[in-house]
Amino acid sequence: MSDATVAARPPPWRDVRVLRVAAQILFVALVVAFLWFLWFNLLTNMRNQGIRTDYGFLDRRAGFRIAGTDFSSRRPLLDALLIGVKNTALVVVLGIALATVLGVVVGVARLSTNVLVRRAASVYVESLRNIPVLVIIIFWSTAVILKLPSIREPIAWPGFIVSNRGMRVPWTYGRPGLGAYWTVLVFGLVLAGLLAVWRTRRFDATGAPHHRWAWGLTAFAVVAVAGYLALGRPFSVSLPSLDGIRITGGSAVGPEYAAVLLGLVVYTASHIAEIVRGSILAVSKGQTEAATAVGLGPAQRLRLVILPQAFRVAVPPLANQFLNLTKNSSLGIAVAYAEISAITFVAIGNGAPAPQSISIMMLVYLAFSLGISALTNLANRRLQISGSR
Amino acid sequence: MAVAAPPLRGRVHPARWVKDNLFGTVWDAVLTLAFAVVGVWALSGAVRFVFVSGRWEIVRDSVTSLLVGLFPRAELWRVWLLTFAVATAAGFVTGAARTRRLAEDPSLPRASASAAARDIARRSWPLAALVVVLLVLRPSPTGAALLAVLAAASAGAWWAGTLVPPRRTMLANLPPAALVAVAFWLVVGAGGVGWDRWGGLLLTLFLAAAGVAVSFPIGVLLALGRRSRLPAVRLTCVGYIELIRGVPLITLLFMGSFVVGFLFPPGSSRPSLVTRALIAIIAFTAAYIAEIVRGGLQAVPRAQLEAALAVGLSPIAAMRLVVLPQALRAVIPAIVGQFISLFKDTSLVAIIGLSDLLRIGQGLTSNPRFLAQGLQAEILVFVSFVYWVGAYSMSKASQRLEVRMGVGVR
Amino acid sequence: MSGRRLAFGFAVVALALLATACPGGGEEDGVLAQVTDRDIVRCGVNDAVPGFGFLEGDTYAGFDIEYCRAVAAAVLGDADKVEFTALTAEQRFTALQAAEVDVLIRNTTWTADRDGNEGAAFVTTTFYDGQGMMVQGDSAYQTLEDMGGTTICVLSGTTTELNLAAQFEARDIDFEPLSFRDNETLQQNFIEGRCDGWTSDKSQLAAQRSNWPEDQGGPEALRILDVTMSKEPLGPVVRDGNSDWFDAVNWTVIATIQAWEFGITSENVDEIRGNTDDPEITRFLGGDVEAEEGEDAAPFDAGLGLPADFAYQVISQVGNYQEIYNRNVGPDTPLGLEPGVNDLWTNGGVLYPPPYR
Repeated sequence: MSDATVAARPPPWRDVRVLRVAAQILFVALVVAFLWFLWFNLLTNMRNQGIRTDYGFLDRRAGFRIAGTDFSSRRPLLDALLIGVKNTALVVVLGIALATVLGVVVGVARLSTNVLVRRAASVYVESLRNIPVLVIIIFWSTAVILKLPSIREPIAWPGFIVSNRGMRVPWTYGRPGLGAYWTVLVFGLVLAGLLAVWRTRRFDATGAPHHRWAWGLTAFAVVAVAGYLALGRPFSVSLPSLDGIRITGGSAVGPEYAAVLLGLVVYTASHIAEIVRGSILAVSKGQTEAATAVGLGPAQRLRLVILPQAFRVAVPPLANQFLNLTKNSSLGIAVAYAEISAITFVAIGNGAPAPQSISIMMLVYLAFSLGISALTNLANRRLQISGSR
Repeated sequence: MAVAAPPLRGRVHPARWVKDNLFGTVWDAVLTLAFAVVGVWALSGAVRFVFVSGRWEIVRDSVTSLLVGLFPRAELWRVWLLTFAVATAAGFVTGAARTRRLAEDPSLPRASASAAARDIARRSWPLAALVVVLLVLRPSPTGAALLAVLAAASAGAWWAGTLVPPRRTMLANLPPAALVAVAFWLVVGAGGVGWDRWGGLLLTLFLAAAGVAVSFPIGVLLALGRRSRLPAVRLTCVGYIELIRGVPLITLLFMGSFVVGFLFPPGSSRPSLVTRALIAIIAFTAAYIAEIVRGGLQAVPRAQLEAALAVGLSPIAAMRLVVLPQALRAVIPAIVGQFISLFKDTSLVAIIGLSDLLRIGQGLTSNPRFLAQGLQAEILVFVSFVYWVGAYSMSKASQRLEVRMGVGVR
Repeated sequence: MSGRRLAFGFAVVALALLATACPGGGEEDGVLAQVTDRDIVRCGVNDAVPGFGFLEGDTYAGFDIEYCRAVAAAVLGDADKVEFTALTAEQRFTALQAAEVDVLIRNTTWTADRDGNEGAAFVTTTFYDGQGMMVQGDSAYQTLEDMGGTTICVLSGTTTELNLAAQFEARDIDFEPLSFRDNETLQQNFIEGRCDGWTSDKSQLAAQRSNWPEDQGGPEALRILDVTMSKEPLGPVVRDGNSDWFDAVNWTVIATIQAWEFGITSENVDEIRGNTDDPEITRFLGGDVEAEEGEDAAPFDAGLGLPADFAYQVISQVGNYQEIYNRNVGPDTPLGLEPGVNDLWTNGGVLYPPPYR
């Protein structure tokens, strides 16, 4: 044992601190060298062939039109990409909502006591989980929607016109006074919220049933109807009507959008059903027994005791499925739905430089992924706080 | 201490069972009726489509194209060789794994080898169904004979694998791997057909298998890098993994199709489209495997690493000899899951123009004989069936693996 | 511990190697030299247009395919030394830019934008075409103005997509475009009535119409409007920056037209080569020309980088322009396209081969 308490500096090749720093420097140097090599090749090859290397191509005319919109070919390419982003958002938002609903229903059905229901749900999940989502989307598009009647003999119910060019549904259109009506509706929402809070406080103080949903909805309905009449009918409903092969009025649901949405919903719901089933099974059996002992019926048991606890377990894998749905929306390209990857593909085919276009597309998807991850992390954190009402 | 016997179960009268289970409450009765009606309608429609009204000539004429694309028909014997090698190797490895499992855990019930074999045969009904469908569509005595020999070879290899002494099972994995490698080389080299000209189901399986195999070491390195204490290494790995996991596979395939060619030095020869798609798939899968392995590494108790270090192993050796083997064994089911999902995702290469199973199926409708007759449903049903057989069999096997390993239910 | 030093050593060496491996950049090697070394021409083609490029069994056939073979015959002396790569309309230019193919012979229209922004170089046009519109035979459309409010199918990534938008917007006709990535899906949608019109190059429309299945009414069920929406000069394409390869492909095409002008076909080329006394033809077919004083007679060398008898190889192995045209898209084929402007200048067409001199 030496007397000296201050250890001598070991030589550099044995000094952990030096090694650590040196290793990092070396690693970064290797990575940077490799990336620089790739970058250099990319730029050289592009310049050799006269392909532009900046992002100025976004201001050029798009030159192509986009189905389902009134996008003119003279508008810049950037606007086309923005329409793609909007279409992706449409599919993602509605897709997540519908897939969750359907997935929860099927997941609960898989645990039903009724043998037929259980079997049907099992068949659904086991078949659709194992088929590629692209095949499902193409199936919906070519074998279902394309086979709908042609526009010359569509299915025409009052207010709905269905053909293989899509579905037209009644929609509202604004008339003078619509702006003021939005303000009225916002006021109605605020009023409903305040009433619900007041009723909840009464419930906490006195224990009387709060009926806050009834109060809130009634208040909102009263305000909405009163405002509608007072402002002189600020919106009206337009029904689609057929004229030769043109349809006027109403709002269109495009066939490609329907195919992508239905395919994504049906596929993702099968995965969500498995997650829901697993999370319900993860709730301890004692909960079910206690709920039965207290006197709750099967539906109440599910709604009040099991599902809330199951939900807590299910949020991380559900978040993963939402991200998968967002990424799978890129398959709209296979059925010509104008979401961001399809528009990028068309732009590249019409002369936009490929590396820049693909980088924009990746950024868009990263933004969507980050957004959904942030929202689900927030939900996850909220749920982890025990004792939330 | 006597173990309580299970409660006696009386035999339930069938009518009573139906009343309890299917018509217990009003709601139950309504559901039963509704589902019964819908079920009968759907089932009869499906049966009618498959056996009566479906025009399966479009599939029948092109079974070979769907399976191997434009592979030169004269060289198909090489593909048969590869199939034999893979089946034999799989059988041998499964048999050896069974022996090791029984040796490690003496409490497992010891079914006889023949009972276990019957069990496996019973569980591979989807694969058998696919074979039957193919033989019905294209009756071929040589094909049937070859498939029978294939099954026999696989079974024989399984039985041979069970004879391997338990201590040697790791070594026993080498000969099958070598066999597969040699067979693969025979297909690609030695006057064979490079993978640029593969197509159909062969290409799909190749992309999935090569994707997972080549990205596995990269994924392990990324996972280790992500857990590194060196911030530069950690940040780089995290950046790569999160970037790749945030974008869809189609963006990487686009990059592979349009951009990877530019990344090579000017004047050098560019790889083919299949190779570029494979590069994109490998880059994609590496990030997912990194996350899976990271989960496995987290599941290994820290005490293992500490004990290894206390015994005197260097950190690298501790990782290599103690932690990684445990982590990787724990995540084998998840990696199989990744293989299944990659198997389904390779259908996306149809979008960049590669002739995989889906694209060849879609192209069949342009044959003048079948043009514009609305036969997409037949093709898509067949393609879905092939994918379903593959994915379902593998996912069932993976579930059994999870149960055996005692990995918790997700 | 020595293992660690060893690892460092390796890392430093690897870094140094990587640094030195960085290329000097600049122009790539001539494509002509690469093709000659490789001894095979890589040709980007179409696999789904009857008459121009399509799969017959497991080989390719068509007008464009024959020009690929002509290039191989000229450069390598053997028309079979071609490797075909089927490309979709969106992929074709990036494939060319990424050097996956040496030449693109795939119904590609020559435009300024492609010359400039896409880094492409167009050789002599092989087929002068125009864009047209095809509708169901029983519909009432006769002109473009009749088609207000209709849905029109088009292939994405083509000039037809851009022209459709430009033409209809210029005439202020509203329409719904529906763009598809391949002709099979487009055809399916057209048959199901998803769109009312199909726009493409008139030659492609004629090709699709000729192949229309009988149970949909055969070719008579369709009608091509008597409207030409744009000029579509179609021809082979090479990458910018390779003038020797450009010259090679260009003069291959010119040779087929020149042979027609001389009256040389694949059947009589051997006979003419042996017996002609026209110095133009002799020079063209690679025979020895009159020498200057004191020099030996030798074949004419225009400095194109092609073998002296390249024209002879092309004509004997493939044929002249008229033969190629009539075999694939001529009036006696199912496509039934009359030459129109695709005729020699002496017959009133626009094919005018520069002299080989």
